[in-house]
Amino acid sequence: MATEETKAFEPKIVAFVCNWCTYTGADLAGTSRLQMSPNVRVVRLPCTGRIDPLFLIKAFERGADGVIVSGCHPADCHYTAGNYHARRRFAVFREIADMMGVDNQRMTFSWVSASEGNKWRDVVNETTERVRNLGPFTEYQSLSRD
Amino acid sequence: MPRIGVFVCHCGENIGRTVDCARVARELGELPGVAHAVDYKYMCSDPGQRLVKQAIAEKGLDGVVVAACSPRMHERTFRRACSASGLNPYLCEMANIREHCSWIHEDRQAATAKAIDLTRAIVEKVKRNRPLEPIRIPVEKRALVIGGGIAGIQAALDIAEGGGEVVLVEKEPSIGGHMSQLSETFPTLDCSQCILTPRMVEVYQHPRIKLLAFSEVEAVGGYIGNFEVKIRRKARCVDETKCNGCGECQSVCPNKKVPSEFDQELGRRTAIYVPFPQAVPNIPVLDRESCALFKGRAKGFKEDACGKCKQACGREAIDFEQQDSFVTEKVGAIVVATGFQLYSIGKDQPTPQLKGYGEYGYGEIPDVIDGLQFERLASASGPTGGVIKRPSDGKEPKTIVFLQCIGSRDAAKGIEYCSKICCMYVAKHTMLYRHKVHDGRAYVFYMDIRAAGKGYDEFTRRAIEKEGAIYLRGRVSKLERAGDVIKVYGADTLSGEPVTIDADMVVLATAVRPQPGIESLAQKLSISYDAHGFINEAHPKLRPVETSTAGVFVAGACQAPRDIPDSVAMASAAATKVLGLFSNKELEREPTVATVNESLCTGCFHCERVCPYGAVERRELKDGEGNLNKVAAHVNKGVCQGCGTCQATCPSKSVELQGFTDEQIWAAINAL
Amino acid sequence: MKELRQIAAKLLTDGAVKVVIGWEEGPRGARAAFVTRPEDAERLIFDARCVQNLATYLSPRRRHVVGLGKAAVVAKPCDAKAIAGLIRESQVKREDVVILGVRCGGVVREPTMPASLTAETVADRCGICETREPTLYDHLIGEPQPEPPRVTRREEQIAALMQKTPQERFAFWSQQLERCIRCHACREVCPMCFCEQCVADKTRPVWIESSSHPRANFAWQMTRVMHQAGRCVDCGECERACPVGIPLNLLTRYTAQSVEKRFGHKPSDDPSIAAPIGTFRSDDSQEFIR
Repeated sequence: MATEETKAFEPKIVAFVCNWCTYTGADLAGTSRLQMSPNVRVVRLPCTGRIDPLFLIKAFERGADGVIVSGCHPADCHYTAGNYHARRRFAVFREIADMMGVDNQRMTFSWVSASEGNKWRDVVNETTERVRNLGPFTEYQSLSRD
Repeated sequence: MPRIGVFVCHCGENIGRTVDCARVARELGELPGVAHAVDYKYMCSDPGQRLVKQAIAEKGLDGVVVAACSPRMHERTFRRACSASGLNPYLCEMANIREHCSWIHEDRQAATAKAIDLTRAIVEKVKRNRPLEPIRIPVEKRALVIGGGIAGIQAALDIAEGGGEVVLVEKEPSIGGHMSQLSETFPTLDCSQCILTPRMVEVYQHPRIKLLAFSEVEAVGGYIGNFEVKIRRKARCVDETKCNGCGECQSVCPNKKVPSEFDQELGRRTAIYVPFPQAVPNIPVLDRESCALFKGRAKGFKEDACGKCKQACGREAIDFEQQDSFVTEKVGAIVVATGFQLYSIGKDQPTPQLKGYGEYGYGEIPDVIDGLQFERLASASGPTGGVIKRPSDGKEPKTIVFLQCIGSRDAAKGIEYCSKICCMYVAKHTMLYRHKVHDGRAYVFYMDIRAAGKGYDEFTRRAIEKEGAIYLRGRVSKLERAGDVIKVYGADTLSGEPVTIDADMVVLATAVRPQPGIESLAQKLSISYDAHGFINEAHPKLRPVETSTAGVFVAGACQAPRDIPDSVAMASAAATKVLGLFSNKELEREPTVATVNESLCTGCFHCERVCPYGAVERRELKDGEGNLNKVAAHVNKGVCQGCGTCQATCPSKSVELQGFTDEQIWAAINAL
Repeated sequence: MKELRQIAAKLLTDGAVKVVIGWEEGPRGARAAFVTRPEDAERLIFDARCVQNLATYLSPRRRHVVGLGKAAVVAKPCDAKAIAGLIRESQVKREDVVILGVRCGGVVREPTMPASLTAETVADRCGICETREPTLYDHLIGEPQPEPPRVTRREEQIAALMQKTPQERFAFWSQQLERCIRCHACREVCPMCFCEQCVADKTRPVWIESSSHPRANFAWQMTRVMHQAGRCVDCGECERACPVGIPLNLLTRYTAQSVEKRFGHKPSDDPSIAAPIGTFRSDDSQEFIR
């Protein structure tokens, strides 16, 4: 048991990103060999407009300790307006989640452009660090026993 | 049970160094539904692709996952390989274990675990992929060109020469644009009209070009290959089919004092007028604001105050009762070439960001003019017959001060960008001036001289070194009328001395701005524009003449400040894009578009509200007897670009984005 | 009341509508009534016990009501907001419904209570409601009404909850949702829940598990409230219908507060005012986005 306890907590983080800006920015981070924490798993969507709050809920249900939603900066959306719709959607969703006790610290929303490999690394590292400090999302995970 | 093949690439050492590829393949191989899993040094190489193809054939795979580099790199490669072996290409996807894994992590264990997770998620997604077929849509081989300046003319002629049909819409009474106002053009000093007017006539006479002058785009519907454009034909009060351009109406018009737009208000025209003698079409327009008859009607006169033009017209072409009319044109492609306007230094500005120049008198000093006005003064067909005379008293100016960067490159005045053409035309102006006034002195205040272009630097050097223009590096703080002269208070930053010049005339190289109304046109076309109103190209380097909307192209100075050769090159490029589009019988488009499950759709039309492309239509669903069951959403596949905002918005998830369906995403999340 | 009965009877006599949806005296207080014969218009009542939001019967989902033919519906201001919502979202055509707007001075918490309003009996939402009469109606009925007793207990509860840590809130809702039996009464009663198939009933994929354990219930309520954001008219029916007494209005009300704060949007009975989710401004605040 002692070994179990000393084993450091490694958060599991799911990132939902748009294809055109953040995914490409993450690719750039790769081609630039920017080292970052390995806790984030990227799910590629065409646009932040496609990202449904249900995705975040499902990620938490499946044991994610944190989530990232990232897309194109305002005015940069490949589809002209998907990110604006996403911005309103998640502005409200995070407050609902907050009300229900899902710590907003477990959710990162960011704009990362195709040229911002550095920023992507920072978003990944900062989110991982933040969630690591919060510890595992045991509250949600303990709901899972059915 | 699905039969998925997993192909893990080492990418030489690129992936293999940090990810245990063999282990990834082994673990994935144990996943239910995975029928085949291998790792290989270079999956994208010929032998690597052969592995994929063979496995599809031999193991009867119904899905392929390649764990390798970014899908942006090689998705097409592997989809093509699958296609070649008879597997629908949309059943193949890539897990990105290079850019998103091996290249950004050093810990082999963590990187391998992550690679397994990423690949597993894609495997679960691919299990739920459906075969998709490219969408084919017919193409109307007709193009709409908006704007009849040099860019629009070039695009129209190139498209027409290439076999396409063209509808050319120009809002002014004549095509020709700003180029028709220029006297000579840099860097060759050839006469602008001499090279332009033959092109204008060509447009007019071309069997495949339909010219709609004095017309504006009212509404745009449809999508690439199938646009429907409603065009407002503004009332000329002249029947184009009857008028033969004899000019009788103009000669009898009693109001001869209307400032001429073509001459930048330095000359006069009549109320019924042709903007300039070489206008195309050579058909007059009646300017109702200046016409005695219409002014009388507006005041409620019982009897018409004039009517001389109508009496003079031998062809009975004049029709005072003419109203705006509308035509609808079906086109497959659209070229936007609406050109530019010059920034005005006046008090009234279209936006609060733009500031006028109080220090230069807000445009109220009569002998302070702009570059286009100088063009008219220097033009042989201009109001002075090409003699340089100053507007206030007609005196020949012996000293002219030219100021560059007025508005441009000055964030405080609201415009940060360089207007690009001014350095060149100011150099030209100094030469034109000195050719006409041999003892005249031409001073130029400049910030930098930007003369990058073939023969451009030679041209500005010639102005300075051979033609006696005096260039002073610095800005002018104030212009002030002092009796007969304008005091120009400036600084020569190279000598560090303040400079005061008594000028007879001052010419401002004011900034290039997009045409007024560009935003509303862009909105009709669903194309994006920047903070200044310039149309955004689809990619600043690789797609310079495309816009954010498929089938809509851009040319000339409506995209950014451009000179004539650039505008023409862009127009030809846009025309090539249009002709490329027209070379297909049908268009093939990516099938990753949204589809509605009509039986579940409740018809709340949240999707319609959020769709950036207007792709959602309302469709009436009827029962066997023709009674209306309900109105459901329907996505027009030709218009949909596949962002998926509709699906995230749909409360009942009755619309699905192919390739990124809820089932696919759900499965991927579950696998992580 | 007389005016209401007269108009209802006339509409039915003239054949202008086939059914008048209103309230009547029931064994347990005021209840919904569906009057199809002019003589039955006498049954209609309106007082502070007429709690239920009748707009829910206009949703095309209620096939048995829709099947009766063109309806007139009695609408308090909050009910009118729901009708506007249905019109806005293409569920009902304005010309297909006759709205009998009633001036409203608030209702009690339960239709079984006496009709007199006190700070104790007044419904939470009426305690902060500023709308005394609808603007969306065909007939406006009744005398101008006084303001209901002002109570802010729900606002205080929300504020208190938001003072706690997220962990405490999570514990609070876990406890509440532990009781949820997933009967979906909150959905069934809601006038703005009109999907033919609810996302909670979808099987491909199962976004929201249908069994009633807290994890599924969290997903359900988060999704339900998200879908209501900017659309909820605060009629309070979801909470009233909940058989296990989960304080659902804390969620819907908090969401409405957030939406109002962010987008300056309040639910209105003007169908031309778009809901804030599904539209945007390019300068929407984005302080939460890195």
